[in-house]
Amino acid sequence: MVRGREAREQQWPGRRFWGPILIVGAALLLTGCPKKPEVGAGGPGAAGGPGAEKVTPAKPITEAPVEPGAKPTAEGPLKDVFFDFDKAVLRDDTKQALNENIQWLKANPAARTMVEGHCDERGTNEYNLGLGDRRAKAVRDYLAAGGVDAKRISMISYGEERPFVLGHDESAWKWNRRGHFVIQK
Amino acid sequence: MTRLARIIWLLVLSSGLLAVGASAQVDITVTRTVIQRIPIAVVGLRPSGVSGGGDLVAQALSVLVDDLEFSTVFEVLPASFLPFDARQVRLGEEEKVLPSLNHLKVQAMVVAELTQQGKDLTLEGRVYNVSRGVFLGGKRYLGEVTAIRSMVHRLADEVVLRLTGERGVASTRIAYASAEKGATELYLMDYDGHNPTIATGNRSINLSPRFSPDAKLLAYTSYRDGNPDLYLLNLETGRRDKVSASPGLNIAPGWSPTGQWLALSLSKDGGTNLYLMRPTGGALRRLTNGHAISVSPSFSPNGRQIVFTSDRGGSPQIYMMDLEGANLERLTFEGEYNASARWSPRGDKIAFASNRGGGGFQIYLMNPNGTGVQQITTVGVNEDPAWSPDGRHLVFTSNRSGRKDIYVMHADGSGQKRLTRSGSKSFAPDWSP
Repeated sequence: MVRGREAREQQWPGRRFWGPILIVGAALLLTGCPKKPEVGAGGPGAAGGPGAEKVTPAKPITEAPVEPGAKPTAEGPLKDVFFDFDKAVLRDDTKQALNENIQWLKANPAARTMVEGHCDERGTNEYNLGLGDRRAKAVRDYLAAGGVDAKRISMISYGEERPFVLGHDESAWKWNRRGHFVIQK
Repeated sequence: MTRLARIIWLLVLSSGLLAVGASAQVDITVTRTVIQRIPIAVVGLRPSGVSGGGDLVAQALSVLVDDLEFSTVFEVLPASFLPFDARQVRLGEEEKVLPSLNHLKVQAMVVAELTQQGKDLTLEGRVYNVSRGVFLGGKRYLGEVTAIRSMVHRLADEVVLRLTGERGVASTRIAYASAEKGATELYLMDYDGHNPTIATGNRSINLSPRFSPDAKLLAYTSYRDGNPDLYLLNLETGRRDKVSASPGLNIAPGWSPTGQWLALSLSKDGGTNLYLMRPTGGALRRLTNGHAISVSPSFSPNGRQIVFTSDRGGSPQIYMMDLEGANLERLTFEGEYNASARWSPRGDKIAFASNRGGGGFQIYLMNPNGTGVQQITTVGVNEDPAWSPDGRHLVFTSNRSGRKDIYVMHADGSGQKRLTRSGSKSFAPDWSP
């Protein structure tokens, strides 16, 4: 019964720890070979030889899901906000974005918006519907406290059913724990 | 060779019988569960009764053997171990071979015959208690060629009923959600994964299918009109009724054992709280209060208690309460995420998903008072357990193949088998009564 757990525990550190080790290792390579000008010349940002390619951590590959509800974050005048795992607490960066959204909503008093609450794929589908609801309400309450008429804000929770970024690790999850704004016509 | 094989089989059986209760270490191809299984001979199904060759007969035989084996009630003897040609036994002449089976310590026998008249099939089966030499009963099934699997499933359930007094599960179905191309639709399939058919088809998000106790209705949540509302689909007539449409969530239904109540979660008042309602809509009764999330209710078989998931203590854990919402008791304490509790129809166990081992969910069983926790899955991440109506099996979601698919297993975690292979993400299974 414990075998599977051990197997997984061996897998995860592999994923987590090799990245930093590669970076540190490559950094040692860089600093340890100052006599080779071709290595140091380009600096860490520049593409070097075959060895240097491993230095920059690979950018996580993301796919845009072909889902009608999933809109790119840049679209629309209202900024998306993000949450920590299993939390609906508004972080400082979240409040900052919401303050800007409040300014926009005050400048556009006719606009109505829908706040969508979203979750990452961890946890159960049913619990995550409740969590998405809690996130949408937290955003709505903050906007209302900032002076936006609550009647202009509607809410819906999609739980984990409409991820914005496909993937099974934090690089995708952090974008999927989201409060997303859709301007209502 | 056949004679030697027969002797080996005899040895296996007798050693198994001697070792009852003592040895869980019988290390032959036979597992320990075999010791409690009833050795059964499947005879008949002669290829000559059907036109167009023996394909239909071979299919019927394979379905029957698979059903009987999966039941965990029987151990089907391989035909090569029998002292006669099992396939040549005619219906009506089966009593001649009974004594030779008794000698082999076989306890039960089913004899069947399949005949074809154009597009129609007749399947007849008879069940015997071999050791007492007694005919226990028989059934004749008529149907079209396309219904052959269903006909054999019915016969398998009849065999289980005649020998155990309990209904088998071979004729049951499994409902589940499947996500592809931006929509999540609900599907129904046979308990062995065959004949998947779409139940929704509205290109929206459809979740949490739950069969009513009479298997006639399917409760589920759908975003088809925008808001996540609760619907009932009549599986016989195809009629759909929206039965709960409060602002916000109308999700995660759970049927009372009599079908008189539906428990569900609504978010209209602050948190996501549990309510009871009549399936026709109405008589809404609130069970939990406050700003916590309370979801995924499952009734005890006596209908007096509900287990559910709540984060009122800071993390999602499993709680139990009565139908007044009183006598609340927390059942899980280990791990930061325990959820998806399902009470066994036999009443003795609660299945749930927990991340207590690290690395994602696994499926566990516990006693209804929270003790005796037992892990029954280890490969991949496993969640969404749901019981078969006889409490002998569980259907669940696993990502072990690289994508979420529906699997089944026996209640002790043995016999894990993948059911869905559609290529899309399948999850949230429920097993029909």
